[in-house]
Amino acid sequence: MADISLDTVSKSFGGIKVIDGISLEMKSGEFVVFLGPSGSGKSTLLRMIAGLETIDGGALTIDGKRSEHLAPGQREVAMVFQNYALYPHMTVRGNMAFGLKNIGMDKSEIDKRVEDAARILEMDALLDRRPAQLSGGQRQRVAIGRAIVKEPAAFLFDEPLSNLDAALRVRTRVELAELHQRMQSTMIYVTHDQTEAMTLADRIVVLNNCRIEQVGTPMDVYLYPATRFVAGFVGSPGMNFLNAELKGSGTDQCVTLGDGSRIALEIDVPAGPYDLGIRPEAVRVSAAPAATTGKAAVVERLGDRTLIHLHLEDGTELTALDSGRSNVVSGDAVHLEFDTSQLHLFDAEGIAHHAK
Amino acid sequence: MLRNTKKEWLIAYILIAPFVAIYALIFVYPTIDMFFLSFQDAPLVGAGDFVGIENYERLPRDRRFGTAFWNTAYFVALTVIPGTFVALAISMAVTRLSGRTQALVLALFFLPYILPVSVVFRIWDWALNFQFGIAMHVLDAFGMDRIPVFKTTTWFMPAVAFVTIWWTCGFSVLLFLAGLRAIPQEIYEAAALDNTSRWRMFRHVTWPLLWPITGLVLTIQLILQLKIFDQVYLFSQGGRPNDNLVMVYYIFQRAFVNNQGGRAAAIAVVLFIMVIVISVINFQLTRLSERRK
Amino acid sequence: MTPTTIRRINWMGGAFTILTVLIAVLWAFPIYWGIISSLKPENEVVRPYIELWPDTLTFEHYWFALTQTQIGKWYINSIATSVGVTVLTVSTSLFAGYAISQLRFPGRRVLWWLILASFMVPTQVLIINHFVLMANMSLLNSWAGIILPQLIHPVIVIVFKQFFDQVPKDFREAAAMDNASEWAVLFKIYIPMNWGVITALSIVTFIWAWNAFLWPFLAVTKTEMMTITVGITQVFDAFGVYYARQLSAAVLAGFPVALVYLVFQRRVTQAITLSAGIKG
Repeated sequence: MADISLDTVSKSFGGIKVIDGISLEMKSGEFVVFLGPSGSGKSTLLRMIAGLETIDGGALTIDGKRSEHLAPGQREVAMVFQNYALYPHMTVRGNMAFGLKNIGMDKSEIDKRVEDAARILEMDALLDRRPAQLSGGQRQRVAIGRAIVKEPAAFLFDEPLSNLDAALRVRTRVELAELHQRMQSTMIYVTHDQTEAMTLADRIVVLNNCRIEQVGTPMDVYLYPATRFVAGFVGSPGMNFLNAELKGSGTDQCVTLGDGSRIALEIDVPAGPYDLGIRPEAVRVSAAPAATTGKAAVVERLGDRTLIHLHLEDGTELTALDSGRSNVVSGDAVHLEFDTSQLHLFDAEGIAHHAK
Repeated sequence: MLRNTKKEWLIAYILIAPFVAIYALIFVYPTIDMFFLSFQDAPLVGAGDFVGIENYERLPRDRRFGTAFWNTAYFVALTVIPGTFVALAISMAVTRLSGRTQALVLALFFLPYILPVSVVFRIWDWALNFQFGIAMHVLDAFGMDRIPVFKTTTWFMPAVAFVTIWWTCGFSVLLFLAGLRAIPQEIYEAAALDNTSRWRMFRHVTWPLLWPITGLVLTIQLILQLKIFDQVYLFSQGGRPNDNLVMVYYIFQRAFVNNQGGRAAAIAVVLFIMVIVISVINFQLTRLSERRK
Repeated sequence: MTPTTIRRINWMGGAFTILTVLIAVLWAFPIYWGIISSLKPENEVVRPYIELWPDTLTFEHYWFALTQTQIGKWYINSIATSVGVTVLTVSTSLFAGYAISQLRFPGRRVLWWLILASFMVPTQVLIINHFVLMANMSLLNSWAGIILPQLIHPVIVIVFKQFFDQVPKDFREAAAMDNASEWAVLFKIYIPMNWGVITALSIVTFIWAWNAFLWPFLAVTKTEMMTITVGITQVFDAFGVYYARQLSAAVLAGFPVALVYLVFQRRVTQAITLSAGIKG
């Protein structure tokens, strides 16, 4: 268990910056998720902490110790690889013990740690099998077990669930959350899946284009995205973006949409053109005429809720969320109401401003 | 990944050291030495004087060199393409089989390849023996005249070529089988749904998809057969070696029978260049055909 | 397709299978004929008609070969030199292939190009210079002299490099996280992970070395230092003009490799396709 801090670290591959002056503090026992699309630099950042990539500039401190020049094995972090990287010629026990043997640990201590880890992960019966004889989920556990036995300062996970099927992914996600509660250790977890990020993280670090877009709790990131990128990347179905013009000031502020409809709101930005962002759940179907009207193009029924993909009069596309028993059918004209407290305006730089 | 450069170098050099030492001694040095030797009138072991390109100038006028060269070419013609066809036919037959039958049949076809040349020589020398060979009994049964196969210049090369195909064909069969296995079964299923006949299936599906392997087999065979020696030498024993000379045999004769190391080296250089030229041409052709795709 | 045509195809397929099996049997028949002839008394061997099974089964020729000739010594020479060639070739190629695939060091590219280039060079052209070299090192008529020039097998390095290239880099990284030294990565991860190909290549190298003729034939002039492949054809007075005796010696010479093949069939075929540059 340890604090990890990154101070303006950067990295280039052949002249191209892949990590650009990132600073980040992670507290002991925290579950931090690096979230971003592929190529955002999230895996590189994790691998820099692990020591698998060099740090070209800046400082890495693990548990108060400057670590950017230490070899991977000496940083007291353990990593769970995306493809698990279990040694195929060793048994489960051998896989878990390999790292401990390499540092010359006592055999009795190794045995004890392996047995303990096996008990935690409920795989006592599998210890003498080889990876090829295990299912995908079991391999995943062995990979975690291999990390646990090291009793590391921090666990690093590199998209650990991406090789599991959908059902198993959900189950393993819950198990990982339980594991974190039990071990109370620092965990850094890389993923491109926002559901994993939302469900697991104490704090999410959203990365894009080699930079941090936002750091915050899952609900912060969801409700108050810092940038247009974060707003679009987090949440499923994704946020609606509409061209809008902000007019007026003080109490008679309002935005005008492309179809001419007006929405009153309260926000601290000067008048002008903006991208208006609103999540589908803040767009409601209304029985009576409301803010505007759209034509339902496609209606997706998910059982517990219904997604209605609409076109406004000027052709602007918009998605609304309705209850599972919605009676809207494709082709219907639908009255729409906006929850003005959940409106966001994004300026030309993509910076978000939230309605009050 | 973090690397300790100096340490990595040291480990790398320790790892390659034995290999490099052996290669320098057994490959690099002898290859260079061969070129030097070919410009000297040296005996097999011992010093000689520099004679310029005299050893090479002799070759066009050398009757035995002519024999060796043309016999090698003849042998290549007799083995490479026929051997490849036989291997292709065998692999087409084997690939349809399955399970134990396939394993057994493949083993029977492949077994000769595993045997030492001396054993192959003994087996066929016996089977084709003029007095007691089983093949002669077969000829008798058909009322044909017996042939002293390895004592007749006309029959010598074809017979050795035949034995060579029998001996080495298993290797090509394995390559063809690997190639046939790599052709996705769906293509055949799609072709079958289109009512494709067996011959058209072969002509338009198997053959074009197998062509890279065929090219590989042809190249390997070509280079292998240019270097023919063992069988020719063994079957010539007690016969007429001078009529049956091939390139490596002639190198051997000049060096080890006539004790003329320099002249032998010149022949070796010629063969060396022939093989390199063919390899390079082949390499370029392969690259060209890959680029066309 | 109507049921009749399907039945006809099945019938034809069956006939074709039988034909294939017959040809295969005929193909291997000369080997059978050699073996069976070596089990007949000399007077039966020269009978002017075909007998597929001996009237009198005898091992006298084998007994003769094993007791009255130097075949025992030749066996030992063959085993020693083949094992020597195998161990040296496979180990040096393994280490070199690993270094070229996994480590970065000055000279790496040059070495790789040298190996690829040597792939094209026919070793047969080097016999003169090998002979001179071995003579100068006083290694003619010795095991070392038979072994050394047979150690040029660039294809083994090439196959090893390809296999090490294919090991996902995750394993090297996992090992780094596990505090494994560079030696541990090689000996505890890469080598055990590739045991299959190492054994396969060892087996074919052994077969090649056992079957080698040209170089052992040149390197040895003393009959007691010959390998079995050379001895059985080059020592004329050992067997006399007794066909069955000669054949029994040939059977003895071929037996070990045939056995190795039959036991390790899958490995042998794998290694041979690999050596031609095809993924097995």
